[in-house]
Amino acid sequence: MPKSQFVDPKFLRAKGTIHFEDIPVNQYDRTVEQEKENYSKADFMRIYRDMAIIREFETMLYLIKTTNSYNGVEYNNPGPAHLSMGQEASAVGQAYILNINDYIFGSHRSHGEILAKGLSAIEKLSDKELMDVMENFLGGKTLKAIEGKQKNPGDVKELATDFLVYGALAEIFAKENGFNKGIGGSMHAFFTPFGIYPNNAIVGGSATIAMGAALYKRSNAKDGIVIANIGDASMGRGPVWEAMMMSAMDQIKQLWEEGYNKGLPILFNIFNNQYGMGGQTRGETMGYDFLARAGAGINPAQMHAERVDGYNPLAVIEAMRRKKALLEQGEGPVLLDVVTYRMAGHSPSEASTYRTKEEMDAWAKEDVLENYEAKMTAAGVAGADEFAAIREDVKSLITKVCGLAADPAVSPRIDLAKQPDAIESIMFSNQKVAKMEDRPSEMLMPKEENPRVQQIARKERWGFDKNGKPVSKNKVFQLRDGIFEAVLDKFYEDPTLIAYGEDVRDWGGAYAVYRGLTEAVPYHRFFNSPISEAAIVGSAVGYAMAGGRVIAELMYCDFLGCAGDEIFNQLSKWQSMSAGILKMPVVIRVSVGSKYGAQHSQDWTALVSHIPGLKVAFPATPYDAKGLMTAALNGTDPVIFFESQRIYDVGEQFHEGGVPTESYEVPFGEPDVKREGKDITILTIGATLYRALDAAKILQEKYNVSAEVIDARSMVPFNYEKVIESVKKTGKIIIAGDACERGSIMAEMAEKVTALAFDYLDAPPVVVGSRNWITPCYEMEKFFFPQPSTFIDAIHERIMPLEGYTPDANFTDGEMLRRSKLGV
Amino acid sequence: MATAVIMPRQGQSVESCIIAKWHKKVGDTVAPGDILFSYETDKASFEEESKLSGTMLDIFFEEGDDVPCLTNVCVIGNPGESTAQFKPAGEEEEAPAAGGESVPAAETPAAAPAQTVSRSADEFIKISPRAKNLAARQGVDYTAAPATGPNGRIIERDIEAMIASGNAATFAARDGYVGSGAGIEGTGIGGRVRMADLNAPAAPAAAAVAEEGPEYVDVPMTNIRKVIAKNMIQSLSTIAQLTYNMHFDMTAVNAFRAAVKAGGEALNVGKITINDVILYAVSRVLKNHPDFNAHCVDNKVRQFTHVHLGVAVDTERGLMVPTIRNADCKSLSEIAKEAKELAAACQKGSIAPDLLSGGTFTVSNLGSLGMESFTPVINPPQTAILGVNTIETKVRVVNGEIKTYPAMNLSLTADHRVIDGAPASRFLKELVTALENFTVLLAK
Repeated sequence: MPKSQFVDPKFLRAKGTIHFEDIPVNQYDRTVEQEKENYSKADFMRIYRDMAIIREFETMLYLIKTTNSYNGVEYNNPGPAHLSMGQEASAVGQAYILNINDYIFGSHRSHGEILAKGLSAIEKLSDKELMDVMENFLGGKTLKAIEGKQKNPGDVKELATDFLVYGALAEIFAKENGFNKGIGGSMHAFFTPFGIYPNNAIVGGSATIAMGAALYKRSNAKDGIVIANIGDASMGRGPVWEAMMMSAMDQIKQLWEEGYNKGLPILFNIFNNQYGMGGQTRGETMGYDFLARAGAGINPAQMHAERVDGYNPLAVIEAMRRKKALLEQGEGPVLLDVVTYRMAGHSPSEASTYRTKEEMDAWAKEDVLENYEAKMTAAGVAGADEFAAIREDVKSLITKVCGLAADPAVSPRIDLAKQPDAIESIMFSNQKVAKMEDRPSEMLMPKEENPRVQQIARKERWGFDKNGKPVSKNKVFQLRDGIFEAVLDKFYEDPTLIAYGEDVRDWGGAYAVYRGLTEAVPYHRFFNSPISEAAIVGSAVGYAMAGGRVIAELMYCDFLGCAGDEIFNQLSKWQSMSAGILKMPVVIRVSVGSKYGAQHSQDWTALVSHIPGLKVAFPATPYDAKGLMTAALNGTDPVIFFESQRIYDVGEQFHEGGVPTESYEVPFGEPDVKREGKDITILTIGATLYRALDAAKILQEKYNVSAEVIDARSMVPFNYEKVIESVKKTGKIIIAGDACERGSIMAEMAEKVTALAFDYLDAPPVVVGSRNWITPCYEMEKFFFPQPSTFIDAIHERIMPLEGYTPDANFTDGEMLRRSKLGV
Repeated sequence: MATAVIMPRQGQSVESCIIAKWHKKVGDTVAPGDILFSYETDKASFEEESKLSGTMLDIFFEEGDDVPCLTNVCVIGNPGESTAQFKPAGEEEEAPAAGGESVPAAETPAAAPAQTVSRSADEFIKISPRAKNLAARQGVDYTAAPATGPNGRIIERDIEAMIASGNAATFAARDGYVGSGAGIEGTGIGGRVRMADLNAPAAPAAAAVAEEGPEYVDVPMTNIRKVIAKNMIQSLSTIAQLTYNMHFDMTAVNAFRAAVKAGGEALNVGKITINDVILYAVSRVLKNHPDFNAHCVDNKVRQFTHVHLGVAVDTERGLMVPTIRNADCKSLSEIAKEAKELAAACQKGSIAPDLLSGGTFTVSNLGSLGMESFTPVINPPQTAILGVNTIETKVRVVNGEIKTYPAMNLSLTADHRVIDGAPASRFLKELVTALENFTVLLAK
């Protein structure tokens, strides 16, 4: 909502019509004779060879999957194989014109794209560059497995071709020499030195991620385009539409600064093979008739959408040349509807019950390789024997590579019995990288001139005055100021850092954490996103994969569900699925609300803590908020950063001397004792810290019970030692948070404490969380969220009856059974 | 004027005493010197004499109650006077509420009652792991613990209250309730004792319809018995004990005693018993054998400069061992006199608790009961103990003729961790030589 743009009622209410441009459909009509001016014989033959390699590679996998045997090589591959016979021309045509700094992201059916892009890269890189890539990858292990087994020793391109095919197949066979050490597998193989970025087992999963990589190229002024290779069925997925919407947002051209005000260099390339598993996308599961039509709904440029004949590699190349030029001119995004057909089933185990033999025979007659060969021989480019020779070469290449990849002596698997930490060690990268790229950081003003910085300078950084009285809210350095300082510092330090989300600029973000950033940070680094949580998080993943650092804000924690796949399957998994090759320096800010009812008040720490690969923090004090945000921003791991709207305005009450002005880190995983005691331990998550402290005061004054209050600060990782030490002392523990109690992180911590301190416990650990209800309206919240009295009730009823105390809440066994039985 | 009588503190280490018997009841007339009540610590028992005259107005504790020292136990005054202001703090709740609701005292934490409870043998006992561990460490029989936790669970504070009220049990008792005696080894993770490690205690036989009366009677151990039991078990389970026997010719000792009996009165020397003679000899010979006049603590042997002789005394309440301090500096008649006084105080139960500790070597005499030989048990941390036996007539060949002579066997138990067999034998030999030449020893 920038003030510079006038929302004009006269314009908006005026009568008129919307005009659409015609959408081209299979317009390519050049003959081979005409194309001879663009391609040499070698080019034509290389196109054939690349398609033949893909065809033979997939055929080999089909035979291995269905017969455990290919051309004398015996192997059993229990893993997935989604094959792309029939789609070779669309893959080779796309890759033909791409450079190394053009990135492709793929789908579960992307073996062909990996090979095509890799072969294209090998053609374009010098021998020295290729040797560097191969020698440096996994310490040369992959190279060693195939080195010396070439027909023409010294032919680096032949060696690199073997390397490419072997690296991909070893990955599919889950071997340690594979492109991702066999950790990613068939649906996730990639090789960034050739510009091949991750494929994705979630339909359409690459759309938001590729868009994020394009955002990286735009915001950091990097060359190259980015392609999201997704299927026709992905048009049914919301995140794909979110990605297209966000990629087309007007502000880039209208508001972003000179030099950055060009459309995102993103091509949404749909390999339209007509089926989503067995569902026919045209005629059955969707209604677009022509997929290319979709672009007209996104922006006035209609995303330059057109349909291309994906059964003719030359048609695809011709279209790609034009689209790439558009993207390089800043006219993105682009949508391509590449018609193709998969000859095999969704997977080898499937019998194509949803289509007729007649249909499959009709497509077999159009076979990509046979038609191409026929056209070429007819045009006198080469003789049938030359094509036969290529097929022979390809078959011997695939046979050789298959034998090497299958051989356990050459291609072992990671031995988890011998290296039990092999996967554990790649779950997090745990690095400290102050800036992702070493260049000046582009900002609009010196830090000290920022109005928010000047305002904060007048604030009291310690929460109490000389007489020990709390400093008023207006004069105290608040939790929101702590987050702001950490973020601002990093903006000045790391030139790749960008931040976005809903209403982050002029509005200041939810609860004004970002107020003051609008003045300091240029648009291309700090902007309002559409209300597209999947695209916000997915693009952050792609931005980080491409080499940048991001803070994405989701406003309310409740909106996290809208980015479910992006958080649970993408953000969390790519560091480990890449065997540690990728880094994921992404901070997702989510704010836990109150007063706003059932869909704006939830603490979902448990959901994200459950997913391996995410770090989770929930600071409750200004000191911890600044220190944890600084640690998150210095790190290379994905962090879900919880904030509570109840306590954005608290001053620092614990860290003597107040919140330091300079940068410092609070380490992840270390809980902090906020109040020492000896009779009972209270471990708190987030804002419940303050209610626990109130309870501790009552316990001390009325019942002479001394409570030790520990602030968890982060949930993942979590070092239990301090908590266990406390429980050894007290024998009693309450774990409290604002999340619904069932399946909460509190319940998880209670289980761990029970396991680790069982013999020291004087009562079972008690979880004090919210009820398993919807959050009621503000006026009824005290019956839902933990209150100071709830802590005392819990102690009285489940741990140690207090003399003369009458509890409100019901913590009895019978009540627990009743609620569980009813699921409430 | 009404005046409270407090539970006296007998020695610095005594925190509370148990009221054994009330000799006066409420309404009785009391004169100075009257015995009000008798009470006991874990080591000794005492009687409290009245220093006041008047009427027993109120009694705050019953027989068997464990009363903290310096707490008011009863009030003496004129009939009709109020005693309310003397009620000990813990008793307040029993007072009828003086109108209106009683408000719980804000500053008092919910104190666990210290009484024990009895449960049937097959009752499932709810107890927290922490409380159970504390009970095991402290030798508390948790089956008798009150349960103040939620849902009738015994929690830590219940065990703490039992410990505070002296309800700790012996190790043997602890093993008893675990069910299988000593030597339970945990086979669980971290050496935890699992159910499978315990021989399930045999289910108590259904109480027979015993018309002829109970099958047995449970007599609770007195505090002194508990202490003795604990000390003995600790002694035998931690010390490598070995006993050596040797007898000596009593001719010289008998002659000496006869001489004392004949002329002692003139020289104002009282009766000298055989035991006194042995105590004297031991106090002298020990000086040449520092390892015997010692304590073994924490891998160190603490050798004492002077000899503090423990003298075992048999009393109604059980074995007591008062100490003759600096025995090596005292004459035979001084030793004799002190031994007699100490024994009398023990018999009477009025021995000062501080006199029941600090010994460096102990002499235990079962001779009067006809014992010919026995195995004295070392009183830890001492390193040895001498057992004195009865007088026997033995024979020997003198110049080819069989002659009889009076002899007495001495049984020395030494801690083999500190004292090997040869030095133990040398000590006993020297003691025998000293006794057989007693007058020479006296001359030293």
